[in-house]
Amino acid sequence: MTTPQNARPAAPQGPAPAPAVAPDTADAGARARAATTAPATEAAVTIPPAPHENASRVAPGSVPSNVRKTSGSPRDGTPGTPLLSVRGLSVRFRMRGGRHIAAVADAGFDLAQGECLALVGESGCGKSVLASALLGLLPGNARTAGSALFGDVDLLTAGERTLARTVRGRRIGLVPQSPAAHLTPVRTVGAQLEETLRELTGTQKHDVRRAARAAAERAAFPVDHLDRYPHELSGGLAQRAATALALVGDAPLLLADEPTTGLDRDLVDRTVDELRRHVDEGHALLMITHDLAAAERIADRVAVMYAGRIVELADAARFFGTPGPQHPYARGLLNALPERAFTPIPGMPPELGDLPPGCAFAARCTHATDACAAQPHFADGVACHHPPAEERARA
Amino acid sequence: MLELDAITAGYERGSPVVRDAHLTVAPGEAVGLLGPSGCGKSTLARVAALLHRPDAGTVTLDGRPVTGWRHRAPREQRTAIGVVFQQPRLSADPRLSLRDLIAEPLRATGRRGEAAATVSELSRTVGLGEDLLGRRPHEVSDGQLQRACLARALVLRPRWLVCDEMTAMLDASTTAALVAVVEEYRRERGAGLLTVGHDRVLLERWCDRTVRWEDVTTA
Amino acid sequence: MAELTRELAAEPAVWRSHGRTRRSTRTLRVRTSAVIVTAVVLAVLVVPPLAHLDQQAVDLSMKLRPPSPAHPFGTDDVGRDLLLRCVYGLRVSLLVGLVAALVATFIGTAVGAAAAAFGGWTDRVVMRIVDTFSSIPHLLLGIFIVAMFRPGVWPVIVSVALTHWLSTARIVRSEVLSLRSRPYIDAAVSGGASRWRVAVRHLLPGVLPQAGLAAVLMVPHAMWHESALSFLGLGLPTHQASLGNLVQSARSSLLAGDWWPTLFPGLLLIIPTLAIAGLAGSWRERINPRRRSELML
Repeated sequence: MTTPQNARPAAPQGPAPAPAVAPDTADAGARARAATTAPATEAAVTIPPAPHENASRVAPGSVPSNVRKTSGSPRDGTPGTPLLSVRGLSVRFRMRGGRHIAAVADAGFDLAQGECLALVGESGCGKSVLASALLGLLPGNARTAGSALFGDVDLLTAGERTLARTVRGRRIGLVPQSPAAHLTPVRTVGAQLEETLRELTGTQKHDVRRAARAAAERAAFPVDHLDRYPHELSGGLAQRAATALALVGDAPLLLADEPTTGLDRDLVDRTVDELRRHVDEGHALLMITHDLAAAERIADRVAVMYAGRIVELADAARFFGTPGPQHPYARGLLNALPERAFTPIPGMPPELGDLPPGCAFAARCTHATDACAAQPHFADGVACHHPPAEERARA
Repeated sequence: MLELDAITAGYERGSPVVRDAHLTVAPGEAVGLLGPSGCGKSTLARVAALLHRPDAGTVTLDGRPVTGWRHRAPREQRTAIGVVFQQPRLSADPRLSLRDLIAEPLRATGRRGEAAATVSELSRTVGLGEDLLGRRPHEVSDGQLQRACLARALVLRPRWLVCDEMTAMLDASTTAALVAVVEEYRRERGAGLLTVGHDRVLLERWCDRTVRWEDVTTA
Repeated sequence: MAELTRELAAEPAVWRSHGRTRRSTRTLRVRTSAVIVTAVVLAVLVVPPLAHLDQQAVDLSMKLRPPSPAHPFGTDDVGRDLLLRCVYGLRVSLLVGLVAALVATFIGTAVGAAAAAFGGWTDRVVMRIVDTFSSIPHLLLGIFIVAMFRPGVWPVIVSVALTHWLSTARIVRSEVLSLRSRPYIDAAVSGGASRWRVAVRHLLPGVLPQAGLAAVLMVPHAMWHESALSFLGLGLPTHQASLGNLVQSARSSLLAGDWWPTLFPGLLLIIPTLAIAGLAGSWRERINPRRRSELML
């Protein structure tokens, strides 16, 4: 991983950025990621949607960001088959008056073991709704379509019993956004760990304290703090307690919902490195965040969401390095970082209840043409009528 | 000149969170105060905004010493400083529409007549569309709400701005947009800025001068 | 290739219902409560002016008749139509309950807000007073207060009000305390608002819904308290029918096996109070503008 300040195109304005924090930790993260990125990319990356896609439709001169690979049945769990396979996932909410709000439209991606996929997008783009859909935690007025195959279970059609008994905690662990809100305030952390252990693993009563300590250690939560109450913990410790709870069931898939919101930069780095450690141990991680710096640090692949759709799905090194993102929105997002150009994307995202018929980003896009009045298809990892590869090819 | 001298402040008697802090902001200057969460920088920011009475120390605003805080501070001293807080949800009265929210300082200081025009102009500046102004806070996103809070802070054309982790909860594009608005306002008015945060990269990119919490306070 | 794309894209998505729907029973309860309360209000407001029938019409020949088409609720021990008596009784109980609840809420709001706003010693003294009053069983206190006056409507109202303002005071005080520390109050202060403006424009609207809710929830409580006082013979005078009085005077007939003079006033006390409480519970959710929108984005 390249440290942000030195490798990016230099910003034309503002004081020179200071060198990165603690270069040794940054490099350690980079080394760990480099060790696992290569095999993970080769073995596990597949193109998301539509079987009708034509393999020969690759723009000359462009480097396809995903390697096409036919996936076997999710049942065999052989290396190379994705752990989670989402196709055509759409969620809409019925509001009063019969209106519908399309929170997620036609999302598709695969996630393999030992891989981290970062789902990025600004607040309101639907990424949390997607996470809730995968866990079956949508509110009563939600309607879903599509499929989310997780092993032999379709998360969208599985009943509440299946989800509660076999999936949540056991096969998917949730690392929540605000740990303080997700930890019971009137019980100590240790008590909650023990309760979860008893529930998920059936640990016997005499054994449960020892198991709780082991679980805490796995998440780097100091064991002498197990007798503290959640309000006595700092933000970082509370986040680690929540991670410990999520790891109790040894779930193969971890879902982290904005785990770095409100944390200091170096705490973000530490949290993210912790999560990366778990990925390297073999878990799969779907991380939902709007913090691009954190995503850069941890992800193997990046999916960008805008107005409920996945508009780009790319390999992280290519996304954050060269040739950079293909979708104009993704490019705009990276340019808004203070490490880079620090320029905002003009305009504001559309209301989810009032989406235009064509590309939702067209109103704010500098490359928009008449073709953008039609919804672009997702091809080669990007949903855009004018991806830069094609522009280059045309020129 | 905004000068904070030997400020000691806290919420409970005998346990101050800020001890002997010194900070100066020159007119038109942007100063970033960098420190980890929970260190007390928000308290110092509130003292600077005349919203919290310090246990010890003095604050000098444009050459005049501050003798009263909150309601005891004279109105024209209070309104010379605009404040934006970290959490937009808690910074907005849930019962007011965004239009009323932004216009509230004008109404409170008896300049009701200017409300309509100023609000329209400011909301355009911060990037809020007309259709959003009629909505209540729970109907808009965090980013939009924070834009409204920034507009509220600017509506009285203050000479000083205090931003307490203004963008901590926001995504990169909204952060860049709000910082651009603040900088544009400062260019226009020559206002000074004290911004408090924990993101070093952002502060160094944004401000003329960044100070660390350890250098500001002796505690 | 393009046609294939368009065809597949045109396939309608199969929408599945998701999430947990637990609204159905709640709406039924709310609707039923609303219907009952409306019926009560109508009966109480509409009937008395229309009825030329005198509830006091004594007809000893019709003593203690069980329910019949002529007298749907039967007659009482001096031959008065029980239906009319019950409706009048409900009216009185409801009015007493309403006025008492309003007075109690007013006192409680004022005290709670003052304690929170002034803080310091005022707060401490007021809260100790509240604690002291709370420790006395409020029915005993109510009896004590009402016994100081001659029987009538106003002593009962005063008694109920003075024993029921305590919980409102606590609720309002804690609400004001929590609101005062919110950044939007700071923003208002910084924006030049005076103390008065902050209190009236920002704090009071935050408190009123809670106070209003407390008032509505107190009405059933006040009605029961008044009925208890009347049942004990300390409340309204017996010629003024209130539900408590009716139940009280039906005691002797109950032992003789005449169930209707006890049942109907009792039902008319229970059902409307339950309905009001149910409606207030659902109102509690709707008035809160801080409720997140239904979208969990």
